Amino acid sequence: MSGSHLSKDFFGLVKSIGESKSKQEEDRIIRNEVATLKKTLSERVGGDKKKVDKKKLKEFLVRMMYVEMLGHDGSFGYIKAVELAAATSIIHKRTGYLTCGAVLSPDHEFRFMLINQLQRDLASSNILEVCAALAGVVRLITGDMVATVVNDVGKLLTHQSDLVRKKAIIALHRLHQLDQSNISAEDLTVKLRRVLCDRDPSVMGASLCVIEKMTLKNPLPFKDLVPSLVSILKQIIEHRLPSEFDYHRLPAPWLQMKLIRILAILGKGDKSSSEGMYAILADTIKRADTGINAGFAVVYEVVKCVTTIYPNPQLLDGAANAISRFMESNNHNLKYLGVTGLSRIVKEHPKYAAQHQMAVVECLGDPDETLQRKTLELLFEMCNPVNVEFIATKLLAFLKDTNDDFLRRQLTERIAIISERYAPTQSWYIGTIIALFAIPGAGDLVDPSIAQNLMALLAEGSGEDDADEDAAMRIAACATFLDLMDSPQMTPVLLQAMAWSLGEYAYLLEGTVELGEVCGKLCKLARWPVVDMTSRRYLVNAVFKLVAQLGTCPGSAAHLIDDFTLSRDPILQQSCCEFQNLITTSNHILPSVFPVDASCEDVGADESLSIMDTYVSSAVAAGANVYSPPSDSDSEDEGGSGGDRDSKKPVFNMTPYEKPPANPHQAIMANISSSGSGVSSGTGSTSGGEQGGLGGGDEVGRQSEVGLRLSGVANVWGPDMTVKKTEPIRQQQKVTQQQPKDEGITSVTKVQEVQQKVEVKDDPGPQPLTEKEKMAMALFGGISGGTERKGENGKEFHRPNGGRKVGKTKAPPVAAPEPRQNEKTGGAEGGGGGGGMDLLDMTFTSTSEAPVVAATTGGEGGGGTTQGTGGDLLLDPFGMGGGGDDYGKGPFKYNGIQVLPLDIDTAGFGGRWGGLKGTVKLAVPNLGKRGFEGVKEFAKVAGLKVVECIEATKECILAGGGGGGEIWLVHCKIGGGGGEVEMQVKTERVEEGEAFKVWAGRNWV
Amino acid sequence: MIQFILMVNKQGQTRLSSYYSWLSMSERVALESEIIRKCLSRSELQCSFLEFRGYRITYRRYASLFFIVGTDGEEENELGMLEFIHTLVETLDKYFESVCELDIMFNLEKAHFILDEMVMNGMIVETNKGNILRPMALLARESGKDESIFK
Repeated sequence: MSGSHLSKDFFGLVKSIGESKSKQEEDRIIRNEVATLKKTLSERVGGDKKKVDKKKLKEFLVRMMYVEMLGHDGSFGYIKAVELAAATSIIHKRTGYLTCGAVLSPDHEFRFMLINQLQRDLASSNILEVCAALAGVVRLITGDMVATVVNDVGKLLTHQSDLVRKKAIIALHRLHQLDQSNISAEDLTVKLRRVLCDRDPSVMGASLCVIEKMTLKNPLPFKDLVPSLVSILKQIIEHRLPSEFDYHRLPAPWLQMKLIRILAILGKGDKSSSEGMYAILADTIKRADTGINAGFAVVYEVVKCVTTIYPNPQLLDGAANAISRFMESNNHNLKYLGVTGLSRIVKEHPKYAAQHQMAVVECLGDPDETLQRKTLELLFEMCNPVNVEFIATKLLAFLKDTNDDFLRRQLTERIAIISERYAPTQSWYIGTIIALFAIPGAGDLVDPSIAQNLMALLAEGSGEDDADEDAAMRIAACATFLDLMDSPQMTPVLLQAMAWSLGEYAYLLEGTVELGEVCGKLCKLARWPVVDMTSRRYLVNAVFKLVAQLGTCPGSAAHLIDDFTLSRDPILQQSCCEFQNLITTSNHILPSVFPVDASCEDVGADESLSIMDTYVSSAVAAGANVYSPPSDSDSEDEGGSGGDRDSKKPVFNMTPYEKPPANPHQAIMANISSSGSGVSSGTGSTSGGEQGGLGGGDEVGRQSEVGLRLSGVANVWGPDMTVKKTEPIRQQQKVTQQQPKDEGITSVTKVQEVQQKVEVKDDPGPQPLTEKEKMAMALFGGISGGTERKGENGKEFHRPNGGRKVGKTKAPPVAAPEPRQNEKTGGAEGGGGGGGMDLLDMTFTSTSEAPVVAATTGGEGGGGTTQGTGGDLLLDPFGMGGGGDDYGKGPFKYNGIQVLPLDIDTAGFGGRWGGLKGTVKLAVPNLGKRGFEGVKEFAKVAGLKVVECIEATKECILAGGGGGGEIWLVHCKIGGGGGEVEMQVKTERVEEGEAFKVWAGRNWV
Repeated sequence: MIQFILMVNKQGQTRLSSYYSWLSMSERVALESEIIRKCLSRSELQCSFLEFRGYRITYRRYASLFFIVGTDGEEENELGMLEFIHTLVETLDKYFESVCELDIMFNLEKAHFILDEMVMNGMIVETNKGNILRPMALLARESGKDESIFK
């Protein structure tokens, strides 16, 4: 085709654009063109409109499209596009609609001018006009215009021409997307089903597009379509469609892909639907494997589907095979599919990763950025406790290098997730998180709670009695922070963590660095103009602590405090004034106001403020008014005269006051203002803060109310600590982190050695390894089927008790129904003994409803984790008496029917747990075995399934189902030095739980 | 779904652009120039996919012209998209009888019409070349009629 039918002007335009060599030149041409077009337009407006040549007008619009496409404003001609849509000639009309769709923004008023024309064309007898209008509907209709065309479009679904029907269903879906009140999902679904049965394959194909989108939103109404879709797919792969649909002799590959995608959505988590498609998927993957790209695309689609639907071992093997071939290919596009396919499959089935070690390592070093990124995603998916160090190092390195905000955000999130989930040691975790904080541009993206957790971890230590370990960890953290102090760029989150840690633990560095020097550096930082106010408060607070420890006030600190008494920030100003006062008037109490390493200590509180009694009574005697506490209630008029309150002793009542915003100064100010009597407070850590975390236990009864209220306040390091209950799952991971990791762990100097470690730690085996092989080993540790040399790595993770090796965590997760969960367990296990992994996340959910559960992550191993409720647990199991047949010896029966293991995974267990109303607690002896064997034996006898055991926290969950649909979910915790198992049983009705308890009492003593 | 389809030559000049979600002109211009820069920086050996600002880009080069498809979401099949580009090119080739950059430039609206037959609302609705070109032939016949009447 040539341009011979075009005008000279247009020909000239295209030619000059085509020949232009630079953007500038192109811009100049377009500017000229704009001037020409405007001139033409004004001439035309001036001239006789009747004689406007539509052909000229069409060309005018195409030129205007060029103007717009090349980034210049063509709005002067928009009206002409609307005008041309009304042309009689179809090609002109279509050009008019096309231009309107390309140039009119969704809020442009000209769109309304087209409604009439669209309506007329939709009703036209010329199918080309109808098609043009349908294309216009898709591009031009906005939400408030849907009602005007929806009926016309609906009617076209039964039009005699397949061209029209095909477009009508798409247009109708578009209208549904825009406004569901005029065409609801149900309406559309009914119509879709009819169109799916259309005699024309391409109309059916169009309906598949819509079905795919609709199933993504809600698969339920389409579940029954599985057999139909399977039979359509069968017809396609058996070449029953006209050969016109073939692409390179593969029958309708895009239709195949679409069908498989829909099947994947419908089969996700649905065993019975999935079973209906296994056979066709196997057939499809076999037939598609013809060695051409389109075939590989179909194969890849099947791989995606197989990893999404309810798993089938044969299909998974087939998918893994296909992935292997992609990975081994030299073609980068196929390699890309291999890597993405692999990261899909390893999520649930890590065993398949093992054979691709070298290929993955190679992809990681590939110059192709896309492949690298996909490989990073793969690494994230296959992360486990053994390879986490290597993977985190890699991700950090990429994070440092990237400029892409999108990737940066993603990597930051992922590093935080894997280091929390799989950290092998605390020191490693701290080092990684600090490194993450320190990366410019990434530190700002970190969730602030991560910093809080880091500080909590430092403060609480491992929770074991290993003080050296804790000290070493703190020293390492402080040393890292000290090194970072001189770096030019600091993120607020880094500054805050640094200030707090140095304030608390800088004294541990005594010998390597003077406290005064640290103090001076902190002062300098606090004066930085770019530091934000929150960080400044942290910094000044750290200075206070150091001054208190030093015993003298260095000049720099004195100046700083002096200056900040005039700070514009009221909180900072106040704390500086208070400190100044303290240091000048009562220097001697400083050490008790700022105690060393006491952030975890409970601050003893005398709530009655009895020391004030003498003062108060003398004041009252002297005629002062008795204090009447304000009412708790919201309504003002009721306040002041709360009856029972009047009877209280005239003391300061802490309860009614609003909780002030928690911040680092809180505790200090509280301490200062009550120096002597102190304020009641929780330990301030998330663990156990709410329950049993209250001071020495001598404050009882009504004080618990006070304790709860204040539990958030005293979080020295935790502005957010109280807010987190909203996210139980994440919280659970956090708790894990705050908790101690391992007793027998590596030396702390590791923190800075993460990098080298990767290279070093795989000691040369029998034969020397290449660099890449080493990487592969680091990477594929912990993945079953991987190299067996992991033992060397493993020794770091040995736990003294039980003598379990990390090797155990490698136990092939394949067999388990939910391997992913399994892997997680591995994480906790490998992560180390003390870890407070709490299966059911009870720390937070249970505080209100089930205060008993051994969720307190605090002192595991130390007997009686569930302080305060231990008594309940020891209830005589026989006390319930009343034994029917169900309660006799032998397996646990309910209503005469034996209870059977319930097929449920951890996620399912967690999901059901909260919904079950009946709760019964009991304790059974662990039959002389300290590990899980006793519990497993118990489960076997009782007929319960062992859903998951977590070595780290000595927790285990069991599940069983009865004949009448009853279920028993049992959460066990091995306590009492291993000799006893505390159980919490959740059931629909409490009687079912009681029955279980009675049975256990009969059978397991 | 498909967010946009572009044809850009290796000088970075846009030859055809079709967006399936509205972007303002300045956004389009910036997006196009950044994407083509990314595509140009990649070698023949590297894969045909990249991620950019949350879009997944699939591109394929024919002589001096890049065909670029941007999708969002997880569901699209990258290799399928790559082959779709090839079908598009084959269809244009069939229509224009061995297509070149200039054909598209001189017949911008027709190239758009073909594309509109294949992609609607960001979804691939038709890949059967016969079905795509049938309405194009009808269109040519009708406009031929028009011209014979008016000329």
